[in-house]
Formats: sequence, structure tokens, C-alpha cells
Amino acid sequence: MRLIVARCEVRYSGRLNAVLPEALRLLMVKADGSFMVHADSGGYKPSNWMTAPTVIEEEGDPPARIVVRKRAGASEDRLEIEIAEVVSDVHHDMGEAAALEKDGVERDLQEALAAAPQFCGEGFRLVRREWPTDIGPVDLMCRDPADDWIAVEIKRIATIDAVEQLSRYLERIRLDPAMAACRGILAAQSFKPQARVLAEARGLTCVEVDLAVLRGEREPDLTLFAA
Amino acid sequence: MQALSGVQLSAHAGGAELRATDMEIGLRVPLEAEVDREGTVVLPARLLLDVARSLPGAQATFELRPAEQDVEVVSGSATFHIRTLRSEDFPPLPEPGGENVVEVPATAFVETINRVARSASRDETRPILTGILVSASGDELRMVATDSYRLSVKETRLEAPLEGGFEANVPARALQELARISQAAEADTLTVSVRSNQIVFEVGGDVLSSRLIEGQFPNYRQLLPDAFEHELTLTSGELTEVVRRMSLMAQKNAPLRLHFAEGELTVSAQTPDVGEARETMPLAFSGESFEIGFNPEFLRDGLESGDGGDLVLKLISPLRPGLIESADGSGFLYLIMPIRLNV
Repeated sequence: MRLIVARCEVRYSGRLNAVLPEALRLLMVKADGSFMVHADSGGYKPSNWMTAPTVIEEEGDPPARIVVRKRAGASEDRLEIEIAEVVSDVHHDMGEAAALEKDGVERDLQEALAAAPQFCGEGFRLVRREWPTDIGPVDLMCRDPADDWIAVEIKRIATIDAVEQLSRYLERIRLDPAMAACRGILAAQSFKPQARVLAEARGLTCVEVDLAVLRGEREPDLTLFAA
Repeated sequence: MQALSGVQLSAHAGGAELRATDMEIGLRVPLEAEVDREGTVVLPARLLLDVARSLPGAQATFELRPAEQDVEVVSGSATFHIRTLRSEDFPPLPEPGGENVVEVPATAFVETINRVARSASRDETRPILTGILVSASGDELRMVATDSYRLSVKETRLEAPLEGGFEANVPARALQELARISQAAEADTLTVSVRSNQIVFEVGGDVLSSRLIEGQFPNYRQLLPDAFEHELTLTSGELTEVVRRMSLMAQKNAPLRLHFAEGELTVSAQTPDVGEARETMPLAFSGESFEIGFNPEFLRDGLESGDGGDLVLKLISPLRPGLIESADGSGFLYLIMPIRLNV
């Protein structure tokens, strides 16, 4: 990664023509060839950029002019940077970047609910994670204190598609006479209003879960009743 | 649908009527008008409102110009031409009437709405809780609202028994709008027409319709504890003022702390990086001291929803619900769940 802080003017030509007048800007040159021009305002987006693959040509030392080119069909996209003053020009070896790790994804929720199925209903116990059906696995299969079966589908955000998915699983699960009375629970961190309405119309129970509460990192809010 | 952003203006032999709806709530307001030519048109609501507010004259003339697809509005020396929206897209609004029609005293109805409406949920993902359960029969009008953190119940004794009755979960938004309309209309009674999935209110000529919320409303009676450990009678105004003051320092979801000790109540709040506040008031409390936390807004709502007289505060323990009740037996209950305090 090369970071150049320079007083410069940037001209873009290609699908349209644009000029960033001379000012102090940060030029970012990534090892993969992508090039970004940042100002100290305007949010996270660069003022101008060019995605890889690019050809980067440089004149002078310290650089007085940088041209970034990229083929765009029959024409060419071009960034021409006229540098009046270089304030800083540094290279950093970033090494191999680890992929973004997301917390709160469905797998985390499934893991937490499998460890604490009572959050889906009082006295629930886990029978199996990834309970197989002939159209795919349902996330959790549980039994309640009366030994009735409960299929739990887990989503980060419950949408109408999630309701449809759980309905399809239940249809298949109930083909087994021993599980004909299997109930369905849709557990999610948040629910789209339409999903809640459809789920309730189909006799499915909606359970809103909070990962921090499931993990015991936070006490649940006290409520008058389970909403 | 673009027509829903508009107001339908209908001119007929008897006068004119303005209609608006968002498909959940519909409103029809009659206007006195001299009508030369009957017709119906839909105009952009926000623009029409801004224009109407700015008109220089006391009266205005509206003329539909079909060729130009606009309406000419003339008032005093000002002339506007407002483009119309597609009239055929505007849905028909329900008429009052039907099999179940009940007349209720407007003032009692509005007062009852105002006492409970704050407890209705604003979370659209829990549609049942966004409504107010309205029950009217005999000489009793009862409204219940809850967002699962607090519950308001107001039972209003009517001066005369109703002819007929109903129970319906009506969107709180519709009832709050009705309260505003009723107060402006200054009518004595309002007529309620109840259908299977719709309710229509008529007050002073205005007609407000709303869909009803389907589903089982929580059984509120089950939520009211049978017994309480502490029962304290206090002046609502005094505690309300203390709570209002202390709430200023309960920001960013910080709780309001109520510390009960022999003969006194200390209300305090603390927000990291902001500050803290504490105020002690005399209170006829006896027994082992304890501290309970409440959401400041919810506690304030409960205190302000009372009628300003004495109230009874009933408590069990720091993690069990507290009850605010009118001391005069006027039928107002406010059940509020505490917040866990990290000591």
C-alpha cells in the first residue's frame, strides 16, 4: 500500500470529464492496482477512484505527475494527477489480509440457541442441530416439556422468505406420522412486519432473540409478558 | 400509489368534502361551499396544505380545468394552478353506519384515549401492540394499551348506559387522530360503526375510518399482580416534577433510580460523561429500604397520565412490576416493568 499526501489537481476523462481542483489530497495506491483519491471530507467514499486492473505511470522523483489508465470497452478511463507538492509518500507492506469476520451471523445464532434452547420456549431441549429433511436441514429440532416436536428456523432478519422456508420444512417433517404435530418456531434478531403477520397466520411462533443475551453477556430487558 | 399522497376534493350539490387516506386510516372532512359544477379531483396534499395556509383571502375558488389537468385556485389577488393526480386511483372510503352502531360521549372517549395512548407500542413488527383495545358496553368504556414494558388501563364510567357495545383493537394512531379531531370539533357525541375488520368514527360531521388490528390482545388482567409489598399514597404533581427534573440526567438509556427509605424517597439519575442528579422528598414509607430502577420516560408517562390528583404507587420488589393507580378510584391503572440496576 502506498499513501501519498500531496497538493495536487486531478483530472478524470472517460465516460465523462471531471476535475478536482488543486488541494491537499490523499492518494492511495493499493498493491492490487486500485487507485483512490481522498479528501478530508465527504465521508468514506473517495473523491475519485479507479478499480483494478490499472496501468499507473509516474513522472519525477518526488512524483510530479501520475497517470492512471484503464481500458473501458473501446475507450480509456484516465486519471491525470498534477502534483504541486508532496507532503508525505510512504509504502507499507500489508501482508496477507485476513477476511472480514462477522459476528451475529446465523451460524452464531444457531450455536447460541442450540446451547440455550429455552430461549425458544420454556423447558425446550435440543434434539439435534441441522435436522435433515428431504429438502434441506432445519436449523434446530427441539422437544418441549410435553415431548412435542418443535422445528426452529433461525435467521438474522426474518422475512417472508424465512416463513415460507420454515413452512416447507414443516410440510416435509409432518409427513412422518410420529412428527405430524411438529410445531414451527421462527427465531430471529429482528422481524419484518409482514413476516410476523404471515408466520402468525400460519400458526408459526416468532421468537425475537438477542445474541448478547443468549451468550449471557447482557441481562434481558424485563417485560410484563413475552411479546 | 401516487394518489395516496393526495387529498381528494369532492364538490357536490350539498357542499364539498376533503378526503385523505394512507390505506390504514381514512379521513373525510366536510366543507361549506357554493358549488357551481360538481366534480371530484385529487390534489397533492402537502402542496395544497401549503397553498391553503398562504392564501390571502378568507375564501377561495377552486375550478377544475380538465384540458390543463389542473385546478385553478383563486383567493384575493392570488392565483394558483395545481396539477391534479390520477383521481381513479384514489380508493373509496367507508361510510358510517351498518349493523353495529354505537353512540358514545365524545369527551369521555377522548379523555380515555389520552390516558392510555402513550403505552401503545410504536414497533410495527408487533402490530397487535400498536393498537388500543377499546371495549364499550353498558355504562362502561374501557381502553387498554401495552408495549410489553408498561400497560395502561382506563375504565371510564359513563353517565348513561350505551345502546349496544363493541370490543375492538384499534390502531393507537387512529385514536390519537380521532382525539385531535374531536377536540377541534367540540361535539358532544361520536358515533362508532364497527365491522369485522374496520371501524368508522363520525364526530361533528368528520368521518375517520380505520382498519382493525387482528389477533389476540394480551390478557391484561393476568398481568396485574394479586398483591403488593408496599402501597404508598402520594401527590402526583410533586413526584412528577421530581421525576421530570431527575430525568434530565438519565440519558442514553440510563435508568431513573428510586430509593425508598424510612420516611423518604430519593430519586436519582446518572449518565456517564454527562453528570448526575439526586433529589429527596418526604414519603410515608416504612420497612426495609430498597431501590428500584425505571425507564424515565415510561415512569413520567405513567405519572402524567394520571388526572393530577393523588395517586397510589404499589411495589413488590426491584424486579417485579410496579403499579400506579389513581387514588380516587377513577379507574386508571399503569403497570410498569422496572429496569435491572447494576449496583
